[in-house]
Amino acid sequence: MNGIILTINGKQVKGKAGSTVLEICEANGINVPTLCHLKGLTDVGACRMCLVEIEKERRPVPACTYPARDGLVVQTSTEKLEKHRRLVLELLFTERNHLCAYCLASGDCELQILGYEYQIDSWRYPYSWPSFPLDSSDKHVMIDHNRCILCGRCVRICSEKVGVHTLDFGYRGWKDRISADLNQPLGEASSCIDCGACFQACPTGAIWAKSSAYRGRPDQCKKMRSVCALCGVGCEIDVLVKNNALIRIDSTELAGDRGVLCYKGRFDQLYESHQGINTPLLRDDSGKLKACSIGNALDEVGEKFGNIVARYGKNSIAGIASSKASNESLKAFKKFMTDIIGNDLIDTIDGDEYRTIIQGATKFRSGAGLNIETTLEEILKADCLLVVGVNPLESQQVAGSYIFRAASQGKANLIVLDVDKNPFGFHASTWLKPTKGKEELAINALTKAVIGKLSASNAVKAKENTTSLGAMNITQANKEAGIDVEDLNNAAAMLAKSKHSVVVYGKDILLRKNPKLITAILRLASKSGKQNPKKPRVISLKPRGNSRGAWNLGLANKKEFSLSGLTKNGVKAVYLLLADDYIDDTKIIDGLKGAKFVVVQASYSSPVTASANVVLPSPTWAERKGSYTSLDGITKSTPKLTQPQNNIKRDEDIIRGISKRIKISDRRS
Amino acid sequence: MAKVKVATFWLEGCAGCHMSFLDLDEAIIDIAKAVEFHRSPITDIKEIEQVDVGIVEGSVGSTEEEDVLKELREHCKILMAWGNCACFGGICGMRSTMDKEDALRRGYIETESTYQGKIPHPPGVPQLLDKVKALNHIVKVDCFVPGCPPAPEAITYALTELLAGRIPVIPIQMMRFD
Ligand code: SF4
Ligand code: SF4
Ligand code: SF4
Ligand code: FES
Repeated sequence: MNGIILTINGKQVKGKAGSTVLEICEANGINVPTLCHLKGLTDVGACRMCLVEIEKERRPVPACTYPARDGLVVQTSTEKLEKHRRLVLELLFTERNHLCAYCLASGDCELQILGYEYQIDSWRYPYSWPSFPLDSSDKHVMIDHNRCILCGRCVRICSEKVGVHTLDFGYRGWKDRISADLNQPLGEASSCIDCGACFQACPTGAIWAKSSAYRGRPDQCKKMRSVCALCGVGCEIDVLVKNNALIRIDSTELAGDRGVLCYKGRFDQLYESHQGINTPLLRDDSGKLKACSIGNALDEVGEKFGNIVARYGKNSIAGIASSKASNESLKAFKKFMTDIIGNDLIDTIDGDEYRTIIQGATKFRSGAGLNIETTLEEILKADCLLVVGVNPLESQQVAGSYIFRAASQGKANLIVLDVDKNPFGFHASTWLKPTKGKEELAINALTKAVIGKLSASNAVKAKENTTSLGAMNITQANKEAGIDVEDLNNAAAMLAKSKHSVVVYGKDILLRKNPKLITAILRLASKSGKQNPKKPRVISLKPRGNSRGAWNLGLANKKEFSLSGLTKNGVKAVYLLLADDYIDDTKIIDGLKGAKFVVVQASYSSPVTASANVVLPSPTWAERKGSYTSLDGITKSTPKLTQPQNNIKRDEDIIRGISKRIKISDRRS
Repeated sequence: MAKVKVATFWLEGCAGCHMSFLDLDEAIIDIAKAVEFHRSPITDIKEIEQVDVGIVEGSVGSTEEEDVLKELREHCKILMAWGNCACFGGICGMRSTMDKEDALRRGYIETESTYQGKIPHPPGVPQLLDKVKALNHIVKVDCFVPGCPPAPEAITYALTELLAGRIPVIPIQMMRFD
């Protein structure tokens, strides 16, 4: 279906209708040079490198914008075309400053590569010697207009994929240049989210990341496929490594659907954020933490744990893990607690969030688990998006980009339900601002309004299941929740008529620890247009990089878990697996005060490690092979990217070391 | 067979290209057998005589360099631009992005180590051109060997081609812009 046949360079090739000539060439392995084209972005025909000759066209046309038709006769490499391309290249080289010897892109530049390919050994045209100011105002990205070829890839990725549209063209003619937020220095452009997509999209040295500048060209680095574990989006990344250091992190699918990264994933991991722990530490008699050998540290932990269990029973040791740790570390930790110590006094740092979600889901439908949620990809297909209690740009930026992308193509209506402090609300077509603490009421009022707007038969069906809403007086509820009636009706109309609505909620809702909120959200979603009533499209933005993984592995406790409560009731020792998480949560630090013996396994010094009796080192995300599960349940793995200092062992090896040393002879049940 | 007469010039450049030439190692012996060097930083001969091949390192940034280049063009059959400065303007071209007077002030007065500096203007001292130029923007150039400096194999390739009577075009894998 929809097949077309073209003749390219004398050969018949097949293609799909609706493609460009360039796409058909690419699909058939015919090389056409390009510069402004970037797969996934709208083609604009800016650079003219891809010129091809087409029978009956009077002059060469850009392949990237020329719609392919059945029967086209195309030539991609004639003498005339190659002459044109040379000319285009020479013009590009002389228009700005392309003296590569002092350019940080040299060795990693598409213009340079084409210069080599076309053996451009001199330039015939006068140089313009531009002296545009360098914009280095941004924390991560700098712009050197003098190296820009005005291909517009940065502009397009910024609006089409990141969805913020910070970059555009400014000025005209010779002075034409990339401009951020109507000519602000990039560092002051408020719409910029510092994601660095422009840097990755730029074919030349015009946009560059400070963190990667002059630290190694791609051909001097080892490139490894990995996954970012900083948040639950779980972006796939390509990491360049040189001299045991991370040089650069790129998104793997440049401009693909998950083709963007956030500043954390792209830049933050290139810098060491906290003081690392490179050796085990043992509290000595004077009360100070002193470095010791791993053998000594493990002996101490094994002996103390053994003694404590022998004396106080197996329920005297509690374990807490950070959901930032890899699945492998978490699995070993759980096994240690259940099999070696023999109890279920185990939780994750984000256990409260887990319990809130699960209890809320179970109330919505008995037996529902985390699987009730949908995937992030669904956001891209949405025609109506409701964002509740979260600013995705802050917590999971790439999820924010998905939302923008869905909304900016005019496809989806964006509704935000959150207090007026959430800046994400400014992007919404309707912003419902409930009074703090009245979110549940607001959500229920919206649900009732949606039901009211459903087609008659649908509404009846809906009402059957929602008797609790029956008695609600919307006007009254609105007033109480502080919601504007007109806004509520608008939002309800959008949700009711939607065919593919998706509800995204996060941090602020989860922090409320109120499962009823989750039930209310699920119920609202289930009434919002076409939905599977048992599995409405809802997704929660979970707190940590591997929250879903940890929860799937059963590390979060089903029952209420309070550290201070436990230490009051017989727990003597606490084992914390923080991995490369940095924790300064006072609740945990206070909770630890009640314990006699605290073991913390961590990559970084933190207030929590400071209160430990024994600190065990833990490799960071980059220093170990491991797998992580995204917030929508997709597990990806990363190889060991760098060698840890002092050859720090993996968490599971350290845990095995403790298991071996622990002697629990007198097991009391 | 008569030896090919070669002159090499050092205009506005860092001598890196000549260094890269000395880097040819043993290949230089064969080349030396076939050529006769005239004016060159290597021979220290100053006169410009009629030669077969003129090889120029460096861009043209001053009136004197411009004169020398024009004179060489009149005295050689084939002119070869050697290195990025000669081919494109290169590192020396950096100063063209600023005003000439600013560049002089920065160099002679504002440099951190300069005390009571002065821009020299005595008669006879060549004057800076407003902008640095690649050779082909002043005279006709017959072949180009880009690179900063050009790789020794690119130089060997270019000279071998010339000795064989062909005008060299540097192959893709030997092209360097840095
Ligand atoms: S942007 Fe590319 S072509 Fe231009 S100077 Fe830098 S490396 Fe060379
Ligand atoms: S900054 Fe880079 S990506 Fe943007 S227009 Fe210039 S060359 Fe293209
Ligand atoms: S959105 Fe999350 S997973 Fe993706 S790069 Fe940012 S922190 Fe990493
Ligand atoms: S790639 Fe087609 S015009 Fe630039």
